[in-house]
Amino acid sequence: MTPRPGSGEGAPGFSWHRVTALAAKDARELLRNPGAIVPAIMMVFASLLPLFLVIFLVPMVMGRTLEQSGEFTEAAANAVGRIPELAGLSGNALVQTFLFHQFSLLLLLVPIVSATALATHAVIGEKQSRALEPLLATPISTIELLAAKTLTPFLFALGLTWTAVGLEVGGTIAIGEPGVWRAIVGPRLFILFGLLGPLVELASLQVSVIVSSRTNDPRSAQQLTALLILPVTIVFVAQLMGLFIVGPSALLLGGVACAVLNAVLGWVGVRVFQRENILTRWR
Amino acid sequence: MVIAEHLSRVFDERVAVRDVSLSVNAGEIVTLLGPNGAGKTTTMRMLAGLILPTAGRISINGIELADATAARARGSVGLLTEAPGLWERLSVRINLLTYARLHGLPDPARRVEAALADVDLLDRSSEIAGKLSKGLKQRVALARALIHQPRVLLLDEPTSGLDPASARHVRDLILGLRSDGRAVLVSTHNLGEAEELSDRIGILKTDLLAFDTLASLRAARAGGRVVIELEDRTRREFAISDVAEIPAIVSRLAGEGARIIRVTPEERSLEDVYLDLVGEER
Repeated sequence: MTPRPGSGEGAPGFSWHRVTALAAKDARELLRNPGAIVPAIMMVFASLLPLFLVIFLVPMVMGRTLEQSGEFTEAAANAVGRIPELAGLSGNALVQTFLFHQFSLLLLLVPIVSATALATHAVIGEKQSRALEPLLATPISTIELLAAKTLTPFLFALGLTWTAVGLEVGGTIAIGEPGVWRAIVGPRLFILFGLLGPLVELASLQVSVIVSSRTNDPRSAQQLTALLILPVTIVFVAQLMGLFIVGPSALLLGGVACAVLNAVLGWVGVRVFQRENILTRWR
Repeated sequence: MVIAEHLSRVFDERVAVRDVSLSVNAGEIVTLLGPNGAGKTTTMRMLAGLILPTAGRISINGIELADATAARARGSVGLLTEAPGLWERLSVRINLLTYARLHGLPDPARRVEAALADVDLLDRSSEIAGKLSKGLKQRVALARALIHQPRVLLLDEPTSGLDPASARHVRDLILGLRSDGRAVLVSTHNLGEAEELSDRIGILKTDLLAFDTLASLRAARAGGRVVIELEDRTRREFAISDVAEIPAIVSRLAGEGARIIRVTPEERSLEDVYLDLVGEER
């Protein structure tokens, strides 16, 4: 018999036991790796800072409410017909809700950046410590390996994203105008961070893992995966300029696009993670 | 326990291993010698089920290696890689516990204790792996290779870079594996180590140039000699290809009236045999 070279597969079924064993190890390692954890946590605060700066700090420093300052009053009034959450609001509450609506897109940077920071360390760390070969010598399949390498960063980054959303909503309850938090906690928020956020995060993770297979420096991998930040930033800026409003249907459409992107990235990832590729081509 | 027949492996255009056939039996240590890039690690990886051969057949513990059986074969082999490859931020115990779980062992904590006891490291289990010396890391890596109690051990340069005391310790552990009846394949550059450990030796340079016991390798290679010292303190040297030729030489000299006081066969060293086969300059 002449075996077919290339795949090196043959794990007896998909085992969650093996996936969780490796993912738990990755979680322990991440918690001991400030180089990976700190940038991810910093991103939570970096994404919330502009929002709270504009809504609370600037009016406090200037001694005027947002409504009185006038910069966003007209934009908010113009958006009333196009953003359902603004219906029935007026004055300062209207402007605050409008800004929360606009700035919430910025929180999508949390899953992208934190997933990238965590995943690149999870893969490149294994390469740098030359731990992949003994790992591949176990019965773990490459699909299980890919799943394990994605699971821990996914859960960490998702936790950080939802923490950021929680802080945003909590901040609104604590220091926002009455009624603002009720206006922002709705279907759009759930679609944004319950569906689109995890899908964008998964895409970011997969890109990170694929790029990490070709480099030994986490920063190089992070620079390349930062390309995912660009479309989110463009949409955020365009929305802020009043070019369009990203409502629930646009977010759902973005979710579908992300799902397709994830399927393509998954197909590529499985090929990159072939046992033989890892042993013979990963440098 | 390990049977490899006509193994070849080609990477793109480059032939890494060509037509290699070897076997390792239970309770036997076989050593693979060869220069850098000779295909030792590729052979080890094929035997461990990590990469599949381009051609040839491998049987590990009765499992015919193929796509569908590679995972099962990997589960029955312990591989010690050249670099220890430990998770350096984690403790020795967590390193081993993760592997015990990846192998699906029923009582992972107990297996970790047993594997640490095998390599005399029970008292270091809570230490962070990255803080251990290279010799201790290699012993942890050996414990990792033993965690699932494999009957076949593949050890890739197990003493490379270790100080003499650590290397001695690792060699003693390897000899202990043979006593346990395991089949052990070792790749090394260290000829002294090969002489000390091996029941059989393979010399690899893409092709398997020789595969036999040390005595047979020495005997089979032409160029040995015997030195015969006579009563008048003169010395006569004769080229031989086998020690079996010595009695005839002695008889002939005695027949000619020579008074022989000492016969010293000077076998070729493993180094002579190795360098002769791989064609390298001293």
